[in-house]
Amino acid sequence: MRATRAIYQWLDRRLRLKPVEEMLLNEPIPGGASWVYVFGSATLFLFCLQLLTGMFLAVYYAPTPDHAYDSIQFIMSSVAFGAFVRGLHHWGASAMVLAIGLHMLQVYLYGAYKPPREAMWMVGVALFILTLGFAFSGYLLPWDQKAYWATQVGINMVGTIPWIGGDLARIIRGGETLGALTLTRFFALHVLFLPLTTLGLIALHLFILRRIGPAGSFEEKRAAGLSVPKERRHRTASEPFYPRQVFMDAVVMGGVFLIVAVLAAFLPFPLADKADPSDTSFKPIPEWYFLFYYQGLKYVRGPFEPLATWILPAVFYAVLMFLPFIDRSPARHPARRPKAILIGAAFLLGVFGLMAISLQEIYSIPTTDPSVVRGRELYSKLQCNGCHRIHGSGGAVGPDLSYVGKVRDRDWLVRHFDDPSAVVPGSIMPRLAVSPAERDDLTNYMLSLN
Amino acid sequence: MERRTFLVRTTGFIMGFIGIVLSIPLVGYLISPAFRRQTRDWAEAGVLGELDIGVPRELTYVVTVQDGWLKTTAMKSVWAVRRPDGEITVFAPLCTHLGCGYHWDSDDRLFKCPCHNSIFDITGKVLSGPAPRPLDRLPLKLDGDRLFVIDKQFKSGTSRQIEL
Repeated sequence: MRATRAIYQWLDRRLRLKPVEEMLLNEPIPGGASWVYVFGSATLFLFCLQLLTGMFLAVYYAPTPDHAYDSIQFIMSSVAFGAFVRGLHHWGASAMVLAIGLHMLQVYLYGAYKPPREAMWMVGVALFILTLGFAFSGYLLPWDQKAYWATQVGINMVGTIPWIGGDLARIIRGGETLGALTLTRFFALHVLFLPLTTLGLIALHLFILRRIGPAGSFEEKRAAGLSVPKERRHRTASEPFYPRQVFMDAVVMGGVFLIVAVLAAFLPFPLADKADPSDTSFKPIPEWYFLFYYQGLKYVRGPFEPLATWILPAVFYAVLMFLPFIDRSPARHPARRPKAILIGAAFLLGVFGLMAISLQEIYSIPTTDPSVVRGRELYSKLQCNGCHRIHGSGGAVGPDLSYVGKVRDRDWLVRHFDDPSAVVPGSIMPRLAVSPAERDDLTNYMLSLN
Repeated sequence: MERRTFLVRTTGFIMGFIGIVLSIPLVGYLISPAFRRQTRDWAEAGVLGELDIGVPRELTYVVTVQDGWLKTTAMKSVWAVRRPDGEITVFAPLCTHLGCGYHWDSDDRLFKCPCHNSIFDITGKVLSGPAPRPLDRLPLKLDGDRLFVIDKQFKSGTSRQIEL
């Protein structure tokens, strides 16, 4: 402790660090520190975690279609803590999308995008778009079936934009088809272009924050420190960033880190089969944060399709970017902005509604029937997923079972479980060593997949 | 403890905790493959029929080498000797002096290294020259007529045999 202080003082005498320290830590927060303001630093923390784990993943990753999959498999199975480091990167990505979403929501709710903070908001929206760019470009890198087909669909969506769509899709792919050139450019984008741009914009975001100061509470009385007794007023009116806000930020960072680390340790992100461009039966399911969009696309057909693939998103990002100039009322208190709050709530309702429907459709296996539950347990115990796939997870040796309940009836399934090759001549599926009761459980589980 | 001190110390503790929990796996991740010994497997080097009694023969064969995530094939060779009593010896193909490839001189019935004239007899013993130890023997096993060896490399120039 004393040694650190001595080193700090030695440096301070030469570099005059005291004013820098004061500038960084004594920033006043109107209305005082609050747990509501932690999402920005949580996002920054997660970005740093992604930067760190990403650098370490790059140590063993090879960005070519021949080796990408094998190199990730090597990380997962042969490198000490490899699955953990990849898990941190995977769950960290999800957590970062969540954190930046909550951060934007808080800023929206507090009206903190209003003058004089328009520039900070716009840089923030750019950072949000970059984050989604990270999510999209990073998804392809493992070069497994999920990665390949999800990216295929994503780029094809770009292709639906009139006039420029086809060329744009080609530019993103680096050619006519998804392949080696797509992988290398996604890799370069993910590990060089995006991180460096993001670092620059984060610096700008924080620079603006430090020049203008945080917005603080939307309650004018509280922001001015008038709503509290005189003796505590010095704290709430313009409480400095350090130590209370820093403490709150640190607690949340610690909590977020613990959650991500526990998920990484106990729920490592599995690889699907290696990407196979000829296996068109694969139905990719996007990450949870794109699910609402995925679901929305199901409701538009024919001439209305471009509405969902690009018109609505383009309008959304434009409105988001120029929000401070669209919503011109100076009021910050949510109670005095009913229209803005209503629109925000409707948007959230739409997003989470679509997401809920999508999740329900994906996991639409009725769990009320205990026989189905037992059947599902048997399915994983017998490692049926080594050959069969259900909603994107599992092997591609045997038929995809995602909707098997629609195409097969109970009688067929029972006969097939008893002796696969008697029903399907030449089938390589082994006869299962299960009791008749267990066979019926498996059958019920299969029938529930529809 | 004063409230301010508590806040400052807890902040420091959380940061330290994150640092430690992160750095241990990351360091392990970084260094683990560097110290892993490659597992070497039995590889079929040839068949017994190729070996005449008392005539050493260089057997070349192909092995699959796991290089990190990359699987490559490599040509390997060994010198195999079938002695009159039927026993078989397999020598690593490199001179124990500085690792040149030696050859069998069938007129003199000696192994000779062209680099610095080390000479070995048919049992691998050093007869003359700078070689510090006999030719390196490799583990072998027979499965019927098929001869399997494990490819190993040894440090050259030392009187003691040190596997790499």
